[in-house]
Amino acid sequence: MLKGIITGLLAVALLSAPAFAADEATMRKAKKEGKVTWYSSITLNIAQHICNNFNKKKMGVQCVLHRDGSGKLYRRYLQERKGGIYVADVVHTSNLGHFLNLKAKKIITPYKPAGTDNFNPKFVTKDNYWTILRAGVLMPFYNTKKISAKDAPKTYADFLDPKWKGKIVHSHPSYSGFVTNGMINIVNKFGWDYYKKMAKQKPKIVQSAAGGIPLVARGEAWLGAGTTSYSLLKLIQKGEPLKPIVPPAGLALVTSPNGVFTKAPNPNAARVFTDYLFSMETMQLLADYFLYVGNPDVKYPKALPPLNKINLMAIGGAELKKKNKPTRKMFKKLFGV
Amino acid sequence: MTQDAQQLPGMISGGEPSATRKFDYTVIVWVVLLILLIILVANPIFQLFKESFFVSEDEAGGFTFQNYIDAFETDEYYKPMYITMMLAISVGSISLVVGAVMAWVVSRTDIPFPNLIRNGILASFVTPPFLGAIAWIFLAGQNEGWLNKWIRGLFGLSEEFYLFDIFTMKGVVFAMSLYTFPLVFIVVLAGLNNISSDVEDAANVAGGGTFHTMFSITLPLVAPSLFAGFILAALEAMILFGIPAVLAIPAGQHTMTTQLRAFMVSEDDLLGLASAYAMPMLILAIGMVWTRGIVLGRRGYATVGGKGGQRRPQKLGVWRIPIFVLCMIPLVCAIVLPALALLTTSFMKNLGGGLVWSNLTLWNYHFILTNDAVRESIYNTIILAIMAATGATIVAAISAFIAQRKLIRGHQYMGFMATAPIGIPGIVLAVGLFAAYTKQPFVLYGTLWIMFLAYLTKYLPLAYQTSNAGLSSIHPELEESCRIMGANRLQVFKDVTVPLFKTAVIASWILVFMPSLRELSASVLLWTTNTKVISVVIVDFYEETLLGPISALGVLLLLITLVAIVIGFRLVGRDFMRSAG
Repeated sequence: MLKGIITGLLAVALLSAPAFAADEATMRKAKKEGKVTWYSSITLNIAQHICNNFNKKKMGVQCVLHRDGSGKLYRRYLQERKGGIYVADVVHTSNLGHFLNLKAKKIITPYKPAGTDNFNPKFVTKDNYWTILRAGVLMPFYNTKKISAKDAPKTYADFLDPKWKGKIVHSHPSYSGFVTNGMINIVNKFGWDYYKKMAKQKPKIVQSAAGGIPLVARGEAWLGAGTTSYSLLKLIQKGEPLKPIVPPAGLALVTSPNGVFTKAPNPNAARVFTDYLFSMETMQLLADYFLYVGNPDVKYPKALPPLNKINLMAIGGAELKKKNKPTRKMFKKLFGV
Repeated sequence: MTQDAQQLPGMISGGEPSATRKFDYTVIVWVVLLILLIILVANPIFQLFKESFFVSEDEAGGFTFQNYIDAFETDEYYKPMYITMMLAISVGSISLVVGAVMAWVVSRTDIPFPNLIRNGILASFVTPPFLGAIAWIFLAGQNEGWLNKWIRGLFGLSEEFYLFDIFTMKGVVFAMSLYTFPLVFIVVLAGLNNISSDVEDAANVAGGGTFHTMFSITLPLVAPSLFAGFILAALEAMILFGIPAVLAIPAGQHTMTTQLRAFMVSEDDLLGLASAYAMPMLILAIGMVWTRGIVLGRRGYATVGGKGGQRRPQKLGVWRIPIFVLCMIPLVCAIVLPALALLTTSFMKNLGGGLVWSNLTLWNYHFILTNDAVRESIYNTIILAIMAATGATIVAAISAFIAQRKLIRGHQYMGFMATAPIGIPGIVLAVGLFAAYTKQPFVLYGTLWIMFLAYLTKYLPLAYQTSNAGLSSIHPELEESCRIMGANRLQVFKDVTVPLFKTAVIASWILVFMPSLRELSASVLLWTTNTKVISVVIVDFYEETLLGPISALGVLLLLITLVAIVIGFRLVGRDFMRSAG
C-alpha cells in the first residue's frame, strides 16, 4: 500500500518534470534535431493523441506521426532503407516477428526507456532491442441492436452458423499485425478448417483490425470476427451499440513492441520520445484507452477485465515470424483478397 | 532567340534563314523535350520492364522469368484480370448508352433545362469517384443503406429485405458508371455538334419520326464518337483504383489496380511481381488508345462538316417531361445523393445513432482539423495541384505552339510526344516511377517531386489537347503581320499570341488543377510520411473505417473543388470544361 502511494507520488513528480529521465545533453541535442518521426500501428486517434500531448510539452521537439498497418510500415521502412532514405526514428507495430528480423539485421538498436525498471517483466526485454508499449486481445463482438444477447455467438464455432452468412466482418492479416497474431492462435487451436468454413460465410473484408467496428456499429455488418479490444471497449464507452464476445477457448493476446531505429535521423529526439512513450503520463493514457501496459501503477477503467482474469492464447515472436507469411498467403487464397 | 531579336524585318520574306541558326534552335528544343520525355515516360517504363525480369528480394537477385510465372499462373492473380475485363466491358457499355442518350437529348431535342443537365454532368465529371463510392455505402449498404431502409419502411418489409447491396460487383459497376458516363457524353456531344441537322431534316421530311431519324440517320453518323466514348469509359473503368478499393475489396474481390497495390504494399518485396503484373494493363491501355485514335482519325463521312450547319431540335412531345426526369436520375445518383450522404454523416456523433438532434456533432471536423496528417495533406494537395497545373500548362503550351506554328523540324511529332502518356494507366506509371526513382543515384521517392512527375505525366495530354484546340483558333496571319511590322518572335508571342491564347491556357491550367486535387491511383503508391495528399488520407482513413472523419474530409474536398470551378467560370466562362474530352 505504502509502496503504491510512494510510486504514485513519484509518478506525479515525473509528470510535472518536463524532461522525464532524458539527461541534459540528450535533451539539448534532441532540441537541435527538432523533430521525431514515429512509425506506429496503434489506432490513429490514440497515436495522434500521444503526439499531440508530446507536442504540447513544447520541448522543442515536434512529433511527426506516420500511422499505418504493421505490414505496410515494415515494407515502407525496408523500401526507404533500400533507397538510402531515412525518415523514421521510432517504430511501433503489432508484429513481434518483424522485430526479430529488424534485430537480426541490426536495423533497430537497443535502448532501455527510462522508468521501466519496475515494469511487468513480460513487457521488457533483456537486450532492450524493444519494449512492449501496449497489449490487447483480439476480441469478437456484435451489434446489440441487431442481435440479442441470447442469440449472439458464444464460441468461435458459433460464428460458422449459416444464419450469420454475409453478416460478419473480418480484418485483413496482410494489413494488421494484430489480426495475423490472432489468426495464428486460432489456427493453432482449431486448424485451418476453421477459416475454410469462415470464408464460406462470405464475411466483408476490411483492412485494419479496428476497421470492422464502424461497420458493425452502423449495423451494416452484425458481427465482427475479431477486433482490437481497446478500440472496441472505447467505442462501447462512447455509446455505440456493441458488445464483446469472450469465447471459452480464450482470446489471443497481442503484445506490441516499440523500438528505436539504428539509422534514426534524429537519434536523440528518438530517445526523448521513447522515454515519453513509457512515461507514466502516456502509460496512463493508454490504460484509459483500455490497453494493458507494463507499468504496474496505472489505473485501468472498470470496464476492462484484468489480464489475469482472461483465458489467454499467446504465441512467441519466433512462431509469429515463421507463420506470418503462410498465414497471409492462406488468407488470400481462402478469402480472395 | 538573341539572333532573332537582331533580325531585320525584311529578312523574313528574304528567303530561307541561315542553316546554322535554325539548327541551334531546333536542337535545344528537342533536347529539352527529349530529356523531359525520358524522365517522365521512357525511364519509368524501362525500369518497370527491367524489374519484371529480376528477383526483387531485399537483397537483390538475378535475372528471372519467375515474376511472370507467379503473376499469371495462379487463379488468385488471374481472377482480378478477368474481373477487370468484365468491369471495363460492362461499365463501358452502360456509360455508352447513358452518355450517348443524354448527349443526343441535350444536343438534338427540345428537352427543358438542357444547361442544367449539361452542368450536372460536368459536376459529376469533377466529383472524386472514391468519394462517390464511399457515399454510396451510406446510401445502398445492404442492411443500413438509407435507400434500403426507405424502401423497407415504404412497403413495410422485414429487416432481412434489401434491394441494393453496394458491396457487390454490380455495385462496383454502378458506382463506376456514375463517374465514367460523362466521358461518353462529352465525346458524343462534340460529335453531334459537328453534324448539321440538314440530313436529319431530310429524314423528317421524308416521313421519319424523331426516334426513327435518330436510329437510322444520327446514330450511324456519330458512330466514331460512340466508339471513342466507349473506349474512354472502358479504359477509365480498367484503371480506376478508388472505387474497387472501397467497394470490391470488402466483397473479397480484387481488380488489377487493387491487386497491383496489394503487391506494392505487401511486407514482402514484390516489386518484380508487381511490374510483371502491370504489363498486360499497360499493353491493353495502349491498345485501346491506339484503336480510338484510328477510329477517330478517319473522319471519312462527308456529311460531317464543321459547325456551320443549322441544328433544329427534335420535338419530344409527350415524352418531354419523362425523358427529362430520366436524364436527372444519373445526376442525382452521381452528385446530389452522395453529397447529401457525406454532409449528414459528417455531422453524426455515433454511426449507429441515426440522424437525430442528440446525435449531431462537430467532432469529425474537429478530428480532421486537429490531425497532423490531414493538415499537411491539405497543404501538399494544393501545392502539388498548383505545381502540376503550372508545369503541364507550360510544357503543353510551348509544345502546342511549336506544333501549330510548325516552328521546328519534326514539329509533327510534338503532338504525339505530348499525348503519349495517355496510354499509361496512373497506377502503372506509379509503379514505374517507383522502380525508377527509389534507387540511388536518382532518389526522388520521399519528396513531392516524384508525385509532381506522376501528375505532370498523367495530365500533360489533357493540357496539350486544350492548348492545341485553343491555338488552332488563332490565325497565324495575325502573328505574321506583326513580324512584318518589325516585332521579333518574343514580342509577337508576348503581345499577340499570349493575349489571344490566354483563355486556353487558363482553361488547361484549371483542367489539370482539378483532377490533381483528387489524384489517387498514382499517389497511393508514391506518398510518404511527409508527402500525404487528401485523397490518400481518405483511403487511409477508409482502411481504418473512420467513416465520420472521411465524410468531413470529403465535404472539404468537394468544397475546394467547387471553389476551383467557380474561379474557373469567372475567369474563362462556362465553356472551359468543354474541351475536357
